[in-house]
Amino acid sequence: MRAETHKVARLHAILWGIFSLGGMIAAFLLPVLIYLTAIAYPFSLWPFNGAKDPSFLVTGHLLGALFVFVTIAGSLYHGIFRFQSVLTEVGLLKYRRALEAVGYFIIFVGIIILAYYLGTWYVNGTIR
Amino acid sequence: MGDANRYPELRKRLTPGWWTANRHYAMYMVREWTSLFVALYSLIFIYGLSLWAAGSRADFLNFLKNPAIVGFSLVALVFTMYHAATWFYLLGAISPVKIGRSKTKPWQALVLNLVLLVIISYVAIWLLVLR
Repeated sequence: MRAETHKVARLHAILWGIFSLGGMIAAFLLPVLIYLTAIAYPFSLWPFNGAKDPSFLVTGHLLGALFVFVTIAGSLYHGIFRFQSVLTEVGLLKYRRALEAVGYFIIFVGIIILAYYLGTWYVNGTIR
Repeated sequence: MGDANRYPELRKRLTPGWWTANRHYAMYMVREWTSLFVALYSLIFIYGLSLWAAGSRADFLNFLKNPAIVGFSLVALVFTMYHAATWFYLLGAISPVKIGRSKTKPWQALVLNLVLLVIISYVAIWLLVLR
């Protein structure tokens, strides 16, 4: 029983650790990604006022693909984890288990799909 | 004996509108709801990549230029910046750094991290786009 409790506590610590890491990623890296894709590119502002576009960010080189993966995966985990948590504070506490299940499902599927696209493009040479 | 009798505090269940009781609670709730925009932007970006994977690079680029996506992303950027600012302030409040006899204040962590955010953003653009 006690070992089981320790296992659960350790799992919670790991999940909250990833959540915090995702918070740092969302705070430091997500703003620049949104700027590049939602402001700079559509409005032809620096640094996309020349020949390059956001696809270069994804496939221009491996570092860009890693940046996209870390930023999107970290932000997705942090955002969903925090959002399902806040829903339990506005009257949905009795659905906590279901919210957690749906939240982790979205995180898992989202990260797998992202890794699949980037991995495929790396293997077939689209990412230089 | 039920939980409510053993632990009286459990009787104080939060009502759905508890956060309207004062400004601090309301700001806390706004801060937490910014996470929805962080998550939605991430999912939208993955969807954009799926358009590229299923079609062409132009589909991804057209998707990014869609007015609805641009509009949502601009709102998401505002909320993401709010998330970043509150996260930096929280870091300073949770783990102040001891310098001599005094400890750093949360606003100092906020300013320092905002400067760091600008530097990291510039370095990211230089490394990933300009180089």
